[in-house]
Amino acid sequence: MDNINVLIIEDTVSESDALVKVLTDNNYNIVGIASTYNEALALFYNNVVDIVVIDVFLDGKPDGITFAETINIVPNSVKPFVFLTNSKDRQIFERAKLTKPFSFLMKPFNELEILYAMEMAVEKFYQQLNVFHSEDQNTVVSNDSLFIKKKKALKKVCIEDILYIEVEDRYCNIITETEKFVILISLTKIIELLDPMQFVRTHRNFIVNSNKILEIVLSDNLIVLKGNHHVTLSEKYKDVIGKFTVLK
Amino acid sequence: MINRVLTTSLLLFSLFVFSQTHLQKENLMSTAIKVKAQKFKENTNFYKAQNFFLQNNWDSTLVYSMKEINESRNKEILDYCHYFRAISFKEKKLLDESKKELNQISSGFPFSYKVKMKLGEIALSKNNFKLALQYFHETEKLTNKQLYDIKFSTVLHNIGLCYLHLENYEKAEEYLFKSAKRQEIEKDTVLLIGSYMDIATLYYQQYKDNQAIPYFEKAYRLSQKAKSLELKQNATLNMAVVEENRKNFPLALNYRKEYEKWKDSLNDQNKVWAIADLEKKFAIKQKQKEVDILEAENKIKAAERNGFLASSILLLILFGTGIYFYRQKIKKNRIILKQKNELDELNATKDKLFSIVSHDLRSSVNALKTSNGKLIENLKSKNFTELDTLLHTNSTIANSTYNLLDNLLNWALLQTKQSYFFKESLHLASIVQHVEYNYKPLMLSKNIGFKNEVAKSEYVFADTDSLKIIIRNFLDNAIKFSKENGLISIYTRTSTEEYCYLVIEDTGVGMSENTISDLLKDTMLLSKKENDDIIGTGLGLQLCKSMIYKNGGSLEIESKENVGTKIIIALQKFKNHG
Repeated sequence: MDNINVLIIEDTVSESDALVKVLTDNNYNIVGIASTYNEALALFYNNVVDIVVIDVFLDGKPDGITFAETINIVPNSVKPFVFLTNSKDRQIFERAKLTKPFSFLMKPFNELEILYAMEMAVEKFYQQLNVFHSEDQNTVVSNDSLFIKKKKALKKVCIEDILYIEVEDRYCNIITETEKFVILISLTKIIELLDPMQFVRTHRNFIVNSNKILEIVLSDNLIVLKGNHHVTLSEKYKDVIGKFTVLK
Repeated sequence: MINRVLTTSLLLFSLFVFSQTHLQKENLMSTAIKVKAQKFKENTNFYKAQNFFLQNNWDSTLVYSMKEINESRNKEILDYCHYFRAISFKEKKLLDESKKELNQISSGFPFSYKVKMKLGEIALSKNNFKLALQYFHETEKLTNKQLYDIKFSTVLHNIGLCYLHLENYEKAEEYLFKSAKRQEIEKDTVLLIGSYMDIATLYYQQYKDNQAIPYFEKAYRLSQKAKSLELKQNATLNMAVVEENRKNFPLALNYRKEYEKWKDSLNDQNKVWAIADLEKKFAIKQKQKEVDILEAENKIKAAERNGFLASSILLLILFGTGIYFYRQKIKKNRIILKQKNELDELNATKDKLFSIVSHDLRSSVNALKTSNGKLIENLKSKNFTELDTLLHTNSTIANSTYNLLDNLLNWALLQTKQSYFFKESLHLASIVQHVEYNYKPLMLSKNIGFKNEVAKSEYVFADTDSLKIIIRNFLDNAIKFSKENGLISIYTRTSTEEYCYLVIEDTGVGMSENTISDLLKDTMLLSKKENDDIIGTGLGLQLCKSMIYKNGGSLEIESKENVGTKIIIALQKFKNHG
């Protein structure tokens, strides 16, 4: 599980300091603090960024929104944004709203509020609303990562690292090459959200990353994965083998 | 004297001959003409000519027959046309022209005996007696049957007349008697009178007075019965002349008088006709004038009526628009008045708010000032325990002042509708937690217990900031009115399909029923709370109420004095989520 990379765009040092403190305390990884538009663009493109926290006004100008608009034009580069603002000026809000999806937070804010706003930004961005505070789910699935709420903060797991998923009631055990952890999500939901070409169901309780398969032992109904993990292949799901181009 | 008599009878006869022609025209000839007309229907000129001929319209007959003669080559038609013209000329007393036309008629014409007859009549009229006699004799030779519609008696009479004029009295006598006899048989009174008169004249000219006078008298007596005024006149004149010659002057005078009478009546009749005609014309003119006047009057009336109509419509429109604008003005005035009242009220509210807020700010800043003074003193005296409490007091004052200012700002934004308002799905428990987070130290310092038992499954559909403002204000109030060791709990009640009920309960001082109803009143008027030692304006509650309504929710308050207060906020649920 990795920390979430956050880019902060904020020109007031005291405020950015407070923000950095709150976020690092909650295991977020700050990739940079930009105080101008250009700086922000440079930091955004030179780092892996998961969430951007943007102060709407930089040096009295709504450059924060301009930044968001610039990013918005470039396809596939958009990330979840959290706008910070002092005023509820309608015009600014209307403009910010154009960069959909749109999450904002009024200053002053407390620790809980900024964490909540970050979670909301992720939920809205990946269009999986009401996840992190529900009692039956704590994971948002994006196209390349799982965003998992652990205690107060978010963590992420790269989907490519997942070997297989083992389902136990309402929980899913995520097994990567290095770790094993539990997330709260239903089997049906996670199957729906994962790429069906990559993740195949081999058993009532197993979903396997097909890229990690080393060997299929049909006689033993076994699938051997990287790191010598063994997964059961049940009769019911045997035809999934047909999906793979098997070398003979 | 004899000459006079002769002239009279001649006059009489020429007339007589013509009238006879006239009488004869109906019957066979006209039927023949009608048949021809049907036959030559396409020859419009001929058709018209015959039509006019039968109607005795001589001039038109002449015109159309001439046209027909110029166009047509049909011998039959030409004969008829010439005949029409001859008769027309004759009627118009143009005897020479008539004679010419008659001579142009071919021998094959079925009515050639009539032509002879006419020629004879013309010759007679022109006193060419021998020629006339020749024509009449030719006619006489024809049998009765060949003569068709000409009365043989007339022919005989005319011959007799010719002889009379030629002074061949014997022949004349013979023919006239023959004629008279026939007429007596035919009972043709008019002709008979003529015959009698002619016979009388015959005798009279031979000075056979005794034979002449009875005929004159006979003629006279018959003429009494006859209708023709001319006949009467002539007969009477003859009697007068006879009596005069007999020297019987009184009788002659009587006859003369009678003659004059007939003459007069004849003239009278003509005059009457003429006058009637004139009168008729005059009457027509008069009528025409009247009609003209009436028309003119009608025109004037129509014009007047139109004018009246137009002006009344114009007036009506003017009146209508006038009323419309007047009503508009009244409406506007009413609206303006209403708005003015509203504005006055709002202005008063604003002024009041202004004074209360400034008073509150003044007192809190003043408290800070004094507190800061004490702080400096205590710092000098290094009284650190006192320093700590003073700082805490300062912090509390600053917090409440900040809250007041925040509410003021939000109130202003709400009033001017400048604030951004966006409803979305919100996790109610988290929002409550966020608000509560800021009050934790305060509650701790006041030793107030707090429980957040909001159901984790509740999602509401509201604007984040306004919901936070609402919860903050109620929580603030709850803390304010709570005693030491009190308990504040926020929880949700069983929700309905539409609404989620958030309850903020405290064990504070509570409120009376009156206070509750005052607070829930819709008026914007703010009232200074009775609880004077606690800072507050009532602005917070008004703000909350407005914001709850704006979020589509509602507010209820349950409270008991010295027991506690329950604030129940109904919020719209987020529909996509259980």
